[in-house]
Amino acid sequence: MKVFKGKSVKAVGVVEGEALVSKDLIAYWAGVDWETGIVAEIGHCIKGKNVKDKILVYPSGKGGAGDTYGYYYLFRTKNAPKAMICNRANSLNIGAALLTDTPMIYDFDDDITDTIKTGDHIIVDSAAGTVTIVD
Amino acid sequence: MKLNEQQQAMLDGKLGLSCKKAMEVLVQMGEAANAEEMIPVSFVHMMPPDIMFFPYGRTGRWAKDMTDELLADVKSFRVPVTLDPMFCNIAVADTLQFPPETKEEIEQIQMSAMKRYEALGATPNYSALAFYTRDGRLGDHACVADSTPIIFYNSIYGTRTERDDGIKALAAAITGYVPKTGVHITENRRAEVVIRVSEELDFTKFCDSDWDVFGLAVSRKCKEKRPVFANLPKMEFTELKHMLAVMAVMAGLPLVHIVGQTPEAPTLEAALQGKEPLAEYVIGVTDMDKARAVYNTTDSDALDFVLMGCPHLTMKEIKEVADELRGKKLAAGVKLVAVTTKELYNQANDMGYVQDIIDAGGEITYQMCIAFAGTQVSGAVLTNSGKGAYWYTGFGAKEKNRTVRLASTRLCARSAVIGKVVEKL
Repeated sequence: MKVFKGKSVKAVGVVEGEALVSKDLIAYWAGVDWETGIVAEIGHCIKGKNVKDKILVYPSGKGGAGDTYGYYYLFRTKNAPKAMICNRANSLNIGAALLTDTPMIYDFDDDITDTIKTGDHIIVDSAAGTVTIVD
Repeated sequence: MKLNEQQQAMLDGKLGLSCKKAMEVLVQMGEAANAEEMIPVSFVHMMPPDIMFFPYGRTGRWAKDMTDELLADVKSFRVPVTLDPMFCNIAVADTLQFPPETKEEIEQIQMSAMKRYEALGATPNYSALAFYTRDGRLGDHACVADSTPIIFYNSIYGTRTERDDGIKALAAAITGYVPKTGVHITENRRAEVVIRVSEELDFTKFCDSDWDVFGLAVSRKCKEKRPVFANLPKMEFTELKHMLAVMAVMAGLPLVHIVGQTPEAPTLEAALQGKEPLAEYVIGVTDMDKARAVYNTTDSDALDFVLMGCPHLTMKEIKEVADELRGKKLAAGVKLVAVTTKELYNQANDMGYVQDIIDAGGEITYQMCIAFAGTQVSGAVLTNSGKGAYWYTGFGAKEKNRTVRLASTRLCARSAVIGKVVEKL
């Protein structure tokens, strides 16, 4: 078990699942297909991977200022990730997390996209602000 | 978070239900980002989902749900407000292949939303180039929703705004406040990485869309780290628009510095606030080639649509389109839609440019989002905008069987006349 502490956007419970790690920034509006959850952006390092129900780990958000709605629509079609884990919080992702009560934790001591690997089993505790890799 | 008397009264519901909900949103956003206090904003640029974000069908209903709740008992906004574009100017809805029933629904939802915001005191500019309506002041605080004016106000004017979304902007317009987070704070405006351009790049040969490609190449290096450009040539407004619009989306940045050209970067040291950069990147020809490939999903020269105006065309761009089209006709089967602000449209009309475009069989309209509405079309699209290309390639490109290519404003217009994508003037 390895535990990493960060800043939680809001206490909305504990979720667990499989990590999907991206070294590239992520946009939910047009970067991810709402109807499937599949990353659609041309040239993106996780293009073709599905974010649905994953613990999504990435450096930060990007995209247009509509990205909050992009995430919201992904959530409404039930294709959103279970949690957002970032090095730096893009304020649009904070807005999305608040709007949908999705756990979001950011600002760790080390680069979280290096410490977590795709496929790791992860527990996210949004009250404690912790991300745990389960052995 | 510390709240003053007025902010606390808002939170307690003493100034109405909407004000209470808006303050709750702002407090939550502030706490999520370690804010200690709220700051008053001088103005708000709003991006209402019921005006801009696919206002029909499912997304139309969701957008209305979201805004109805926040606007329940608002009588007027507390600060000056400008508005982002409407989704589609109905004048070009048929050309953009909207079926009649969708067109009706769009008109109904977006027009009633527009009336509602205007009645609350919003200025009906309907453009991301909000600084044409209200310019920025160095060190002033604002709340801006739309990535293009966000990066423009911060970088070019030194006006401080986070990457705000439609909901936060609505809450700020209702209350007059935002939490003091991110680039509202001086130390968070410090440049983190230095961008140098290689001597390989000859800027004198750059066309406007080369700045989109350059913006993407830089974005792929700096990612979320705020950059300072150490050695860019003096850029004019249209070039800045092309570069910054792309960086705003592809790096998700609120702010960049350009030494000698932006107000917080008189020198490299000033932009870095006396600290060492985390990294230095050099942008060369290979970076440009890789970025260019992202914007072209085909090398076929087939052409069905030329879509321009994301963000809205500047007068320089409108003139270039008119110069290319004057006295000519668009090739059979090719459609051209150009979009600008209402003010520039009227001026271009006075100058005869609008007539030049119409006489050639093209269409020019105003105050709409050609990036989002343009995702309705099927076929081969050519655009002068990297930001536009991002939506055209990302949004239903497969279902609509849509290909995308990027070219300069002049080449876009010339291609429409010739009937296929031409690569050189």
